[in-house]
Amino acid sequence: MITLVLDIVTTAAILFIVSAGLLVVFGVMKIINFAHASFITIGAYTALVASRFGLPPVLAPAVAFLVGGLIGAAAERIVVRQLYGRPLDAILATWGLSIVIGQLVTLGFGREVQFVPAPVSGTLAIFSEDYSSYRLLLVVAAFVIAGLFTMLLNGTRLGLSTRAVIMNENLAQGLGIDSTRVRLITFGIGCGLAAIAGALITPLASVDPNMGLSWLIGAFMLVMISGGSLPTLGLSCLVLGGLQVLASTFISPILGGLTIAVLAAVALRLRPEGFARA
Amino acid sequence: MTLTRSLSTLLAAAACTAFLASAAPAADPIKIGVPVGLSGANSVVAPSVVQSAQLAVDEINAKGGVLGRQLALEVADDASGAAGAQKAFDSLVFQKKVDVLISMETSAARNAGLPIVTRGKLPYIYTSFYEGKSCSPFLYVNAWVPEQQVPPIVDYFAKEKKASKFFLIGSDYAFGRGMLAFTKAYVEKIGGKVLGEEYLPMDGSDWTPIISKLKGAAPDALITSTAGGAPNVTLTKQLRAAGVTLPYGNLAVDEGTAKGMGADAEGIYLSASYVTGIDSPANKAFLAAMQKKFGTELKTPNDLSVPEYEAVYAYKAAVEKAGGTDATKVLKALAEISVEGPRGKIAMSKQHHAPLTMYLGQVQADGGVRVIKSFANVDPGEQCPNLKN
Repeated sequence: MITLVLDIVTTAAILFIVSAGLLVVFGVMKIINFAHASFITIGAYTALVASRFGLPPVLAPAVAFLVGGLIGAAAERIVVRQLYGRPLDAILATWGLSIVIGQLVTLGFGREVQFVPAPVSGTLAIFSEDYSSYRLLLVVAAFVIAGLFTMLLNGTRLGLSTRAVIMNENLAQGLGIDSTRVRLITFGIGCGLAAIAGALITPLASVDPNMGLSWLIGAFMLVMISGGSLPTLGLSCLVLGGLQVLASTFISPILGGLTIAVLAAVALRLRPEGFARA
Repeated sequence: MTLTRSLSTLLAAAACTAFLASAAPAADPIKIGVPVGLSGANSVVAPSVVQSAQLAVDEINAKGGVLGRQLALEVADDASGAAGAQKAFDSLVFQKKVDVLISMETSAARNAGLPIVTRGKLPYIYTSFYEGKSCSPFLYVNAWVPEQQVPPIVDYFAKEKKASKFFLIGSDYAFGRGMLAFTKAYVEKIGGKVLGEEYLPMDGSDWTPIISKLKGAAPDALITSTAGGAPNVTLTKQLRAAGVTLPYGNLAVDEGTAKGMGADAEGIYLSASYVTGIDSPANKAFLAAMQKKFGTELKTPNDLSVPEYEAVYAYKAAVEKAGGTDATKVLKALAEISVEGPRGKIAMSKQHHAPLTMYLGQVQADGGVRVIKSFANVDPGEQCPNLKN
């Protein structure tokens, strides 16, 4: 029972970490970044390189954020900026970008599966149940990411401009807010968050050129039903992640793999605009 | 007038071609087609397979070839799947006109290639371990099937670890399910019990609910059969992170992957027909020759690449016995010959499959594999009862 609860909470935390970056981009720019999976991969390879240089694993997410953020900002300048008025083309363009990044990663590091050591190993006893300490650490990480992001959005000048752009871009521009710059920074932050996710999940997973892909559909669905708000995203992760764990535990993990996609489709049928402004 | 002249030119040309054709065989190389997954799922292991084939061909050519003819390799990418295999086999069989196909491939690629081999009526030596029971008069297999790989691990756990309750985890695809279905039947046959059998889709990377079920079931031993590469690594890492210390038999791990996984792989049991630690002069000579030929480019020889090396020698022996490359005679000879290679003496004498010496190994702290026990000449069982030999 305790294990089940922990499974649900940690699964929700991982889903939240993985989809936060996608949400940021979708919330501000109203485009879906299909290269999200590639930025997860970039983060993982950054962690790999960092560990080879002997950097302490605690720093890996920070380095990943920088690398992912810079590459993301560059991608915004070169590819995404031209497509703000054409959200469907933006999906195709970011999808293409993900293929390019995937191939570059393959060229640089090869196809084979690689490994990053975990910063903590072993288990922690919680209510007499041994549970993976790294998964528990990820719950903390999810809260840290949510906290930092809320602070950025509500406590800084950039956050204020960003919220203005989210609410009414034309009006924000009229007030002298440089919405192009806001978009550039937001896209960078979104990609940086994806890279953090990559660095954080690698100790539980393998590092290979396609590793981000398996997370993309789930993250996409979660962001869609959350409708662009961070607290709603947290809630969707808990509800849908929980149902996924329950389906995997009591029915079959193969069905569990479908849970998020199917439930999200049903939810969007009932409430196409998502659940954010309920 | 013109007609006669052009006719005579034609005849002269034809005579020339006929002359060339009759003079050629002595110099013509014997072509070996190697359709292999240079891209796709098998791309990690394929380079080591190609290296094995190259070494075998070079060694044989340096000693004068086969019946005075040199060997030549024709490598084609099958993209690790059915569609790519059809193209690769088609071009090897009908355009490059190879004399034989020798390769390690996915089951999907093998199944797609077999009809083409049958149409071309060529011998095809399959050098990958697989789920078993693929039968064709043109197909020979010199690698293991479940009947040879699974019993060493299960028997060892049952006898030495006193395990009677097993838990099985796999990837949801033909090989994963096939291996575990066999494992389950075998465990029950020797009087054990299977407490659970769980699968995750191929692209899944979160094994948490399955691991929680495993811990809840409290078995004596765990046996897994995932897809190679990523799923295998994620499962092992998450098992270790969850503190699972059961005797752990992994049907899909190889030495290279185990080495890469570092401390997480320590203690895993594996069963293979080839490990680099086989202590025989033939294996040492093979490893030295590979090292000399490829140097820093060398891909560690493994259970998928060494059978390729031996299969080239098996084909050589069969051609020599048959007195030529005539497919019907070579196919008959393949069942009768045996070759001495890194894995020992191999004969594809049982229904087109080979009895093999299997090694039970355990991964050590440094990533190396220590051979705990070897099982001589494990029989492949009834794979193709309808084939005569």
